[in-house]
Amino acid sequence: MSGSAAKIVRFRWLVIFGFLAVALIFGSQIPRSEIESDMKAMLPPDIESRINTDKIDELFGGTEMLMVIVKTEDVLSPETLVRIEDISKQMKRIRGVDKVLSLFELKNIKGEEGAMIVEPAVGRIPKTEEQRETLRKEITENDVVYGSVVSKDFSLTAIIALLKTDVSDTVIVEEIRQLILANQGEEEVVIGGLPFARVQVARSIRVDLRRLLPLGLLIMFLFLFVCFKQLRGVVLPFAVVIMSILFSMGLIPLLGWKIHVISVLLPIMLIAIANDYGIHLIAKYQELNYEGNPYSKKELAMDIFNHLTKPVLLTGLTTMAGILCLLGHVVTPARQISVLAASGILFALAASLFFIPAVVSMLPKAKPALHSRNSKRPILERMLRLFGKIVTSKPKEIIAFAVISALVVSIGIFFVIVDTDPNKYYPKDHPVPYAARLINDNLGGAQNVSVVFQGDIKDPRIMNKIDNMEHELQEMPEVGNTTSIARVVRQMSRALNDKDEEGYDRIPDTRNAVAQYFELYSMSGDPDDFEKMVDFPYEHALLTARLNTASTKKMDHVIDRLKEKTKNDQDVRLVGGFGSILSELAHKVVNGQFLSLGLAIFVVGILLMILFRSVTAGLISAIPLAISITTLFGLMGIFRIELNVATAMLSSIMIGVGVDYTIHFLWRFREERQSGLDSKEAVIKTLTTTGRGIVFNALSVIFGFIALLTSSFMPVRFFGFLVVVSITSCLIGALILIPSLCIVLKPKFLEPREIRV
Amino acid sequence: MKKYKIIILAFGTLVLFLTAEPQENLTAKQIVDRSFKATKLAGSEILSTMTIIDDKGRERVRKIASVTKLYDNGETEKRLIRFLSPPDVKGTGLLTFDYEKRDDDMWLFMPALRKTRRIVSTEKAKNFMGSEFTYADMTPPILDDFSYELLGEEDVNETSCWRIEMIPVNEDVADENGFSKRVTFIAQQDFVIRRAVYYDLDGELHKELSVEEVKEVDPENHKYRPMHMLMVNKQEGRKSILIVDEIQFNPDVKDEFFTTRYLERY
Repeated sequence: MSGSAAKIVRFRWLVIFGFLAVALIFGSQIPRSEIESDMKAMLPPDIESRINTDKIDELFGGTEMLMVIVKTEDVLSPETLVRIEDISKQMKRIRGVDKVLSLFELKNIKGEEGAMIVEPAVGRIPKTEEQRETLRKEITENDVVYGSVVSKDFSLTAIIALLKTDVSDTVIVEEIRQLILANQGEEEVVIGGLPFARVQVARSIRVDLRRLLPLGLLIMFLFLFVCFKQLRGVVLPFAVVIMSILFSMGLIPLLGWKIHVISVLLPIMLIAIANDYGIHLIAKYQELNYEGNPYSKKELAMDIFNHLTKPVLLTGLTTMAGILCLLGHVVTPARQISVLAASGILFALAASLFFIPAVVSMLPKAKPALHSRNSKRPILERMLRLFGKIVTSKPKEIIAFAVISALVVSIGIFFVIVDTDPNKYYPKDHPVPYAARLINDNLGGAQNVSVVFQGDIKDPRIMNKIDNMEHELQEMPEVGNTTSIARVVRQMSRALNDKDEEGYDRIPDTRNAVAQYFELYSMSGDPDDFEKMVDFPYEHALLTARLNTASTKKMDHVIDRLKEKTKNDQDVRLVGGFGSILSELAHKVVNGQFLSLGLAIFVVGILLMILFRSVTAGLISAIPLAISITTLFGLMGIFRIELNVATAMLSSIMIGVGVDYTIHFLWRFREERQSGLDSKEAVIKTLTTTGRGIVFNALSVIFGFIALLTSSFMPVRFFGFLVVVSITSCLIGALILIPSLCIVLKPKFLEPREIRV
Repeated sequence: MKKYKIIILAFGTLVLFLTAEPQENLTAKQIVDRSFKATKLAGSEILSTMTIIDDKGRERVRKIASVTKLYDNGETEKRLIRFLSPPDVKGTGLLTFDYEKRDDDMWLFMPALRKTRRIVSTEKAKNFMGSEFTYADMTPPILDDFSYELLGEEDVNETSCWRIEMIPVNEDVADENGFSKRVTFIAQQDFVIRRAVYYDLDGELHKELSVEEVKEVDPENHKYRPMHMLMVNKQEGRKSILIVDEIQFNPDVKDEFFTTRYLERY
């Protein structure tokens, strides 16, 4: 070891420039990174719901749409209708808009006095009250628009732009915004649709990176200053943090990855975690650099390296192991963050052990700092001493209290909700969830799930099957609007037959009749009118149900029932759609949660067993972790914090980070026992010495993550809140519960060696 | 009356040919006007094949028989279309009275239901039989709805043509016809369109029409019909081909063809 330390000092210039160069080279890649705001990209391409949804896109074309939603007292009032018509017409002229669906563009196909009448849903703007009511009645009977383009209470209407495939989200959203600005009136007008949400998400990611990063760094800067009151004590750990952020963020484009919503966690995680090792080195430096110490600056540099290599490596290793267990997730950004954060921590580990001593060996010796910290010492030390007293006097009670309170809080676990709805990214009054709520409540639903039928679609047998399934779907409370080719056939049957005729409102009995209905429609329809419902050779048909709920659980319910119904049906090819992606994402989040959590406990446990050469060590350290996890999920249930892509990553990270405190404690405790103290004395000694380091370490993590509370994304904010709570519980576990366990259980691996023989 | 008119028209054409010079001085609007008149047949019997091809190259083929006849001094064209294949729509018929000044009258007959239904539609720029062709392509537009500009002369398949730009005079007309601009190549020898390029409402290239094999169907009145028309949708990658397999000029098509009674006689 001392050989390495000497080498670091000898080649210090090389070490310093090496680290700076790597950080700069990787950092220079950051501007190349792209932002991924598409929810679909959260799941890898080989996942069933994505394969199915891609297949649907391939068969029936993409369905990107932007909606302009107009909200007012009565959308049929002449002024509002004029505005809707203007917006609708101008929208058609926007580059990138393929087709417009609105009251003025969609058809009313009806049968009347022996004729089939095809006209726009709103042909003329009503001039009198009577005309207005006639129009209202007509629209109420037009199921192409009623409840989907216009709300049932006529307070909302949508003007929908179907987009061409090659259009940029940002450009088209801006065009639509300008369109709204150019047509302002009394009505409330909002934009909705996935491209809009994506633009917002991409923007929020940028805002977050620009805001969270400086804020996190500032908090860390102040924290380090309060801790060390010395410039190098601040600058050196800080430099390690910055370098590791540059390194890991630079990896994103180098690995061909993109920045996802939860990627904003990465730099913050590094701010919180990457400084831990540097903090220990600086603390040791200050400890050794007491008044009148005999060491040279080079000796100090070598000493801190030699003293801390082992514990820093160990805690770094467990943290990396915990975070790498996120690879148990299928969710793409979670896996990527796992690799990126672990790489960043590895870099920070190396930089702390090599770069900091190298720089320290160059700088002139600092003024002894410890005396200035003495003023702080009594508060913290008194607190730690108090912990020691409580622990040593009532260890059993503490264990009982911890277990009972964990059990009480654990009731909350039953209320934990899994939700992956992107609308939950934002607070309730944000435009994205607001528009989604309007659509869910009044305009048929914002998400969808689709069933693809295959076979001879014109065959009345299949047509009736589609029709039946559509009716079953419509009966589910979670289903809003539905579309299918069977519905079109039915609609035509109503237009082609009078009410008292046999063929009215039903699928015709013969294949030829179905074919002739279609031929009739194509006489005057656009060739792509059916594009989203049936493919060109009439071999595949798409039944789409829009879901009027934002809850993944309720979507799940619909999808499960659909899958159950269609399981052995030869005529059904697949079930897919964005709703099914969200639902599968939710399943994957839960599975990934269990797998990564289990893995993390297992791997960290094994590491501890190896470290202390004892199975009991692994088991004992697992107890506070188990209690922290229970508390974490219990609180999530109690505070109604959803398990989503961000919060699902928390527990593995918590284990990786939180176990460090236990390691530090046990390590010192064993040393003290071996030096002859009894377990109670050893507890007090450990708490008042290493305990300080543990507290600093944990506080630096907590403060590091506090910046997350200002994120634009709710899941990230909740992540920030939960990390503060769970690191605190790990800290308490290490400082109170573990000592109590040591006293009560007297585990062999901690006992002095002489006795163990 | 009719014959008299035809004679006058024929005479007029003859005068035009004899003088030859005036062609040089035709305005863009006059050329377009003549172009639409050049394909207006007093009556016809046609067998044709419509092939609709989607963006993946899959085809849908329809064989149709149709008869047409002009009424009211050419202001009304009556058309009867009957599907011959594919088998599932065989016998389906569509009877249209295409008026110059008001919405069309249409009746549809579906043999599978033995039912005729009148169709009332205010739609004009709609696609025809699910193809890339629109009704607006098939019928003459109202001349004053557009402004015209002669952009120059250009050869299309070795036929010298005028290149003429047509722009709807207002947005309503643009909406009705489905294009913001159309550049038409009209042959100088017979006034039949050889090529047309359509721009959609946001000004982007949308469709391209190519005409091959122009046949003089009514030599007496110099009326022509293209035998092969291809419309390519440049945005969606779809194509439609309309081939006239047989055409017979017949000004004396029986009037009873254009009745719902005949429509149902199948």
